[in-house]
Amino acid sequence: MILRSGNFLTPWMLSINVGASAAVKSSWKNVAEPVVFFVVLLILWEILVEVIQVPSFILPPPRDLYTAFIKKLPILGHHAWITFIEAFGGFALSLILGVGFAISVVYSRHLQNTIYPLIVILYAMPKSAFAPLMVIWVGYGMFSKISIAFLVAFFPIVVNTVVGLKEVEPELLELARINRGSAWDVFKKIRLPNSLPYMFAGIKVAIVLSVTGAIVAEFVAANEGLGYLVLQANYSLDTAFALVILLILAVLSLGLFWLAEFCQRKLAPWSAGVREVEGSF
Amino acid sequence: MPPLIAVQQVSRLFTTATRTVTALDNISFDIHPGNFVSIVGPSGCGKSTLLKIISGLMPASSGTVTVAGHQVDSPLENVGMVFQAPVLLKWRSVLGNVLLPVEFAKLEVAQYIDKARALIKLVGLDGFEEMYPHELSGGMQQRASLCRALVTDPQLLLMDEPFGALDAMTRDELDMELLRIWEERKKTVLFVTHSIQEAVFLSDLVFVMSARPGRLIETIAIDLPRPRTMEMMSAVKFGEYTLQIRALLASAGGAHAAAVGSTT
Repeated sequence: MILRSGNFLTPWMLSINVGASAAVKSSWKNVAEPVVFFVVLLILWEILVEVIQVPSFILPPPRDLYTAFIKKLPILGHHAWITFIEAFGGFALSLILGVGFAISVVYSRHLQNTIYPLIVILYAMPKSAFAPLMVIWVGYGMFSKISIAFLVAFFPIVVNTVVGLKEVEPELLELARINRGSAWDVFKKIRLPNSLPYMFAGIKVAIVLSVTGAIVAEFVAANEGLGYLVLQANYSLDTAFALVILLILAVLSLGLFWLAEFCQRKLAPWSAGVREVEGSF
Repeated sequence: MPPLIAVQQVSRLFTTATRTVTALDNISFDIHPGNFVSIVGPSGCGKSTLLKIISGLMPASSGTVTVAGHQVDSPLENVGMVFQAPVLLKWRSVLGNVLLPVEFAKLEVAQYIDKARALIKLVGLDGFEEMYPHELSGGMQQRASLCRALVTDPQLLLMDEPFGALDAMTRDELDMELLRIWEERKKTVLFVTHSIQEAVFLSDLVFVMSARPGRLIETIAIDLPRPRTMEMMSAVKFGEYTLQIRALLASAGGAHAAAVGSTT
């Protein structure tokens, strides 16, 4: 499993330590090493910025980040909530429509021949480039952000779920035929549970991409949300605050990823070693 | 007694874009109820294809298959299938996997739970009912898949190299289990293998097939006493049977394939 193989701070694709991680899995070093590393990093950062006299609008010291965080805390909550709703709303929409679409494509040759190629063309486009158009189509409000988050999250879910529904051992289908199993039974008892690990692989890509989608959409046109705040901070050369927002975005993305990971362990504990198909934004 | 399975002049062609391959060429044989019959032959001789045709999962290009007096034109009812891989559902316990055919067949699951538990015990998996496939060894998984094939109490068992992927010791063990179950439950078994020794050890009859095209080159009745024991493998008669089959395979042009296929 992805997260279990690294330490508690290491998310999925950063987990590159193959051999050693299993052996020292539960050791205190796995907690102590990253903590010590980050503390040292922060101290070095603070000292270097002081010594080299870097202008604070280029790289502020960690102290300034902390001050900015405390000062802006009252407004941060609201904007983070807005971005969360946009990202999660888009993701939820992509989950419902994506899984539904994947199932219909797998079961209908007509859809496979007509809509699927259209989806592939759409997949090849940079979804974030739709952001300006979305403002025209669905307006300036939250829905344009939800739409972009949805677009970005939709494809990883569709592609992975389609693979999961299709990659069923042929012997299981023969077993179903011999025992007069209905198509509904084959779907419910074989294909759907078989697709869950793949679906979750897609979900974990999608849920992180949806945050990116929401931010990009906010860049284009917004008056609230963390993406909007980053632009505001940039305009006023408040680099410390911009960095604080990026860190909050990291926490938001990781939180969502861990939520997906948690659900996967509850709902599909048998899924080990299914690799996700890449998503794009 | 009329045969349970009558295969008459069955051929099967596979057409690809560039050529037509004869997988099975004019195969005919009878299998009587209660018999243990093995099909042995090199890889690519169409053994698995033949099994699929008999089970009704695949149509023959020509010829007919009759099972229990009915011509096969759709998947057979009440037949147990065991494949080379256990193909258990990873998300179901052993018991849940064993009951899968019952659910597919829309039978009353509650009435089969005791039967399933008894089968699980019969194959030596008692205590593992609630375990999941990944917690079992390959041999145990294959035992579970044997239970799954037996749960609806089919008269006919079709087995496609069921123990081929297991190590030699586990395979011997499962061969013995299978014979015990067969003797206890009076099934008819059609067993596909590429191991000559396994075929001789298990069977009343061995069908020897050649490759490309798949032909039935000889039917050998194995006249060894029952119940079979591991010691019989070192008997002179046992050796004669395996030598005879090996020679047949070699003379059919499958010398290399047979030699490779016969390592048990």
